[in-house]
Amino acid sequence: MAREIYAYQCRLCGEMHYPFKMVCKNCKQNDFFEFDTVPLPKKGNLLTFTRVYNLPAQYEVATLGLGIVELENGMRMLGQIDIDEPKAGMAVVGSVEIVREETYDHYYGMVFRKA
Amino acid sequence: MRDVYVAGIGITTFTRLEYPLVEIASYASMMALKDAGITEVDHVYVANMGAPRVNHQTALASAVVDSLSLMPAGAAAIENGPASGGSAIKAGFEAIASGMHDVVLVAGVERMREVNNLEATDFVATLTHPIAEYIYGVTLPAHAAMFTRLYMEKYGVTERHLAMVGMKNQNAALNNVWAHLQQEITLEGILDSEEAMTNNPYVAEPLRFFDACPVSDGGAAVILVSKEKAKELGRPLIKISGVGQATDTHAVHERKEPTDLLAVRKAAGDAFAMAGKTPEDVDVAELHDAFTILEIAESEEVGFFPKGEGHLALERGDTALGGKIPINVGGGLKGRGHPVGATGVAQAWEIVTQLRGDGGKRQVEGAEVGFTCNFGGFGNNVVCLVFEKEA
Repeated sequence: MAREIYAYQCRLCGEMHYPFKMVCKNCKQNDFFEFDTVPLPKKGNLLTFTRVYNLPAQYEVATLGLGIVELENGMRMLGQIDIDEPKAGMAVVGSVEIVREETYDHYYGMVFRKA
Repeated sequence: MRDVYVAGIGITTFTRLEYPLVEIASYASMMALKDAGITEVDHVYVANMGAPRVNHQTALASAVVDSLSLMPAGAAAIENGPASGGSAIKAGFEAIASGMHDVVLVAGVERMREVNNLEATDFVATLTHPIAEYIYGVTLPAHAAMFTRLYMEKYGVTERHLAMVGMKNQNAALNNVWAHLQQEITLEGILDSEEAMTNNPYVAEPLRFFDACPVSDGGAAVILVSKEKAKELGRPLIKISGVGQATDTHAVHERKEPTDLLAVRKAAGDAFAMAGKTPEDVDVAELHDAFTILEIAESEEVGFFPKGEGHLALERGDTALGGKIPINVGGGLKGRGHPVGATGVAQAWEIVTQLRGDGGKRQVEGAEVGFTCNFGGFGNNVVCLVFEKEA
């Protein structure tokens, strides 16, 4: 089964959130957990990006690509980018993979590649 | 509300310090207490971001009070990311304005060089959103870099503008004996020559080494007092006349217009409104230039220049010493250094120094109104202050 990252849609007003909040940023009327989960689209366009050379502890790579992507439903998300020559506006497609590994834990997140 | 004055200031050298965290805070505090001519205070606030994580110490304010023999004064530490310093001054302001206390010591301190560069970078990155940002390996330079790229596309800011801010502030630090960086740099050395890429490599494209502030240890302190107490102490009357604080979304990608810093705009607007001043009234300003792009963006958001024209003002020399609105004449975070918890207090220290006319070679002639912007998170928690000299 393909892994997903979920947006949270307010059951009262329909506002979409990513990441999760306890209270809807639009209507502020929902009770806790009154959200439906909706998978974030995988396709989008690169809004901005960087290549980081000075990584936090735990990363055993020399450099890391990061970017903010405008998804096809208009929402944005930050992810790692695995693209040789990224350009603003380029079409990208994401997949959910391991993005951070610690001694006993690993974390899944979105990695974007050229569409 | 009662008026609040700054009666004493103190600072340590910002650099790598081989002293315990509490001694760094206490040294700056001692200088401030001596400057004000007092040995007792009603309350102590200590601004700090990393003591529990980086220095393995909790309950820092209690330790500082004990070290300074200020018992039984009340004491509390304030952790609010890189805006801890401004937030602690705001808390001290509120304590005096409300009439609850007459004398408050606000100290800011950080000792980040106790850990290595990778761990320090990771420690600062813990202020990002844990699920939507931190797990990806986002660092503060990475956020600033992505912001810079948008700014470049939208407003025509270039790497040369960034290098100009870096050079202005790092060279300004040569006039400040407390500043971390004491090395003159030139555009040729960091941008134009063949060796520039070696001297000034990318940290997070398009930001380079000289676009980022250094990782520093250091402390700064101010004594806040009521008007009666200020007159009794007889120090120059420097009033905090405006205070503003505002927040923005935790995850940077959620902001509608990604080149806006709405928390800066709101905090500055509120501070000016409270002081009954406008950005045009400001004679000297300290902006939070953790990265060079931030000085340009903040100079627009606080109202010194129209949005998208900060880099043009920089080109004209408006932000240099002797310009229309000198910014970061003591080096800013870029030159003075950025011990995160201490920075907001160090900004106040610089402005009070200027309004007292004690700036020496970096003095802005006739400065009467000063302004600080302490930028926490990546713009999600900002404190702005307006200072005025009273005759």
